[in-house]
Amino acid sequence: MDKIILGRYLPGDSLLYHLDPRGKFLLTFYFVGIVFLANNGASYAFLLAFVIFAVYLSKINFGFFIKGLRPVFWLILFTVALQLLFTPSNNPIWHWGIFTFSKDGLVIAGYIFMRFVLIIFISTLLTLTTTPIEISDSIESILKPLKKVNFPVTQVALMLSIALRFVPLLVDETTKIMDAQRARGVDFGEGGLIKRIKSFVPILIPLFVSSFSIAYDLAIAMESRGYKDGEGRSKYRVLKWEKRDTLTILFMLGLTVILLFLRSY
Amino acid sequence: MEKIISIKNLTYTYPDSKTPAINDLSLDIYKNEWLSIVGKNGSGKSTLTKLIDGLIEADSGTIVIDGEVINEENIWDARTKIGIIFQNPDHQFVGATVEDDVAFGLENQGMPREQMVKEIDRALDLVKMSDFKTRDPQSLSGGQKQRVAIAGVLATKPQIVIMDESTSMLDPDGRKKVLDLVQKLRQEQDLTIISITHDIEETELSQRIVVINDGKIVQAGTPSSIYDIGPHLTKFGLEEPFSSQLVQTLRNSVKLPEGYLNEEELKEQLWKLHSSM
Repeated sequence: MDKIILGRYLPGDSLLYHLDPRGKFLLTFYFVGIVFLANNGASYAFLLAFVIFAVYLSKINFGFFIKGLRPVFWLILFTVALQLLFTPSNNPIWHWGIFTFSKDGLVIAGYIFMRFVLIIFISTLLTLTTTPIEISDSIESILKPLKKVNFPVTQVALMLSIALRFVPLLVDETTKIMDAQRARGVDFGEGGLIKRIKSFVPILIPLFVSSFSIAYDLAIAMESRGYKDGEGRSKYRVLKWEKRDTLTILFMLGLTVILLFLRSY
Repeated sequence: MEKIISIKNLTYTYPDSKTPAINDLSLDIYKNEWLSIVGKNGSGKSTLTKLIDGLIEADSGTIVIDGEVINEENIWDARTKIGIIFQNPDHQFVGATVEDDVAFGLENQGMPREQMVKEIDRALDLVKMSDFKTRDPQSLSGGQKQRVAIAGVLATKPQIVIMDESTSMLDPDGRKKVLDLVQKLRQEQDLTIISITHDIEETELSQRIVVINDGKIVQAGTPSSIYDIGPHLTKFGLEEPFSSQLVQTLRNSVKLPEGYLNEEELKEQLWKLHSSM
């Protein structure tokens, strides 16, 4: 459970930690978008250089980013292999049945691989330098305009932050239940796929029961502390937009302009 | 003495039950006292807390808090006067960090941020948790989490603090720290403490004990008068305090003064016996 790097905050102190989470959040999505603009070696190299620069700025050990690739390793391998073997080409190096291996295929597979690496590195960078609660705050702030159409933005934000708060607790709860079941002789690592899936039923049911009881306790505790319906509440956490955040946006726009030049038409 | 809570002929039956959880119960609670409500599991003590805070509605009877009869309209005002610390430290931690959690009650009141910052610092200082301000709950011990819960309650400046089995999940050291803290806060902040427990040993610091069984008050009095009836407590599903058990056994062989002796007094008596031998 603790091997998942994607979606995990790493305490630290560098410029990237101090940027406004709203800016970071939006720019990460923006970057994922412009990755698809790159279409030649130069533009990919340029974006890679930018990502490496950002990683350097974050002062986070590069190993964490490599670990971020691990959960999607098979997906990358599969996609790259697909491009390598199925890209149609006029001058294939090697051809057998439906499989074609060519220089074009190699280049396209390389681009796809780069895309994965760029997108995963940049989103890992966001989650490593931004606490979950900051991300939930930025989502609230970005969704604010929806209040006009009666969308319960503050309630959804509170739901999100409580959900985030209870993830580690539920992980603990799961470990506890698994230990209890193991003590009664359940073996989670054995048997075929069906048998393994079946052995998770005795975990899920107690987990459901205990999450409902936690939810009930929490609701009572919240009500006793005066929580009504989310209206008329003030906010303790405030996000402050600073000059450096505007500068980051300008920097990203400059990056886009260079990227458009490097792009081949 | 000034009454802060006055309960009259309160009755409550859970929807799916035949016997009432609280049965025609009347009780007065005075300002600045520490009242312990003890009873075995299912005796109705936790139901009483929920009734006082208006989290469930009584079938009949009245509750007066700080001079006002509680009804649906003024329950939110009444709640600002009462703070509750619940049993499981993890199930009442709303915020992502210590400061966020303390802020929760203040945010609900719509307090401006500048004032909140001051109140949070004050409350965390009272429970000696200022150093942990930005920590997340996962990195705290059970006792520390309960102290944060107390800070969260104190931040809203209540007059009454109810501890609903708040120390039952803590280790002995954490329990002692929390109880001593509550005692100190009661004196300094002029609070009324209602502590609800099934552990008679936890009632030592209180001024008055009420024993509840089957939704009724069966015994009431000062701690020493309750401990005095030691063996009878087992009738209500409670355990006799350890020193009381020891005194009973010792009386078979040595002569000890009548009445309840706490640990210190017992030690004193044993030393006396030892030196006169």
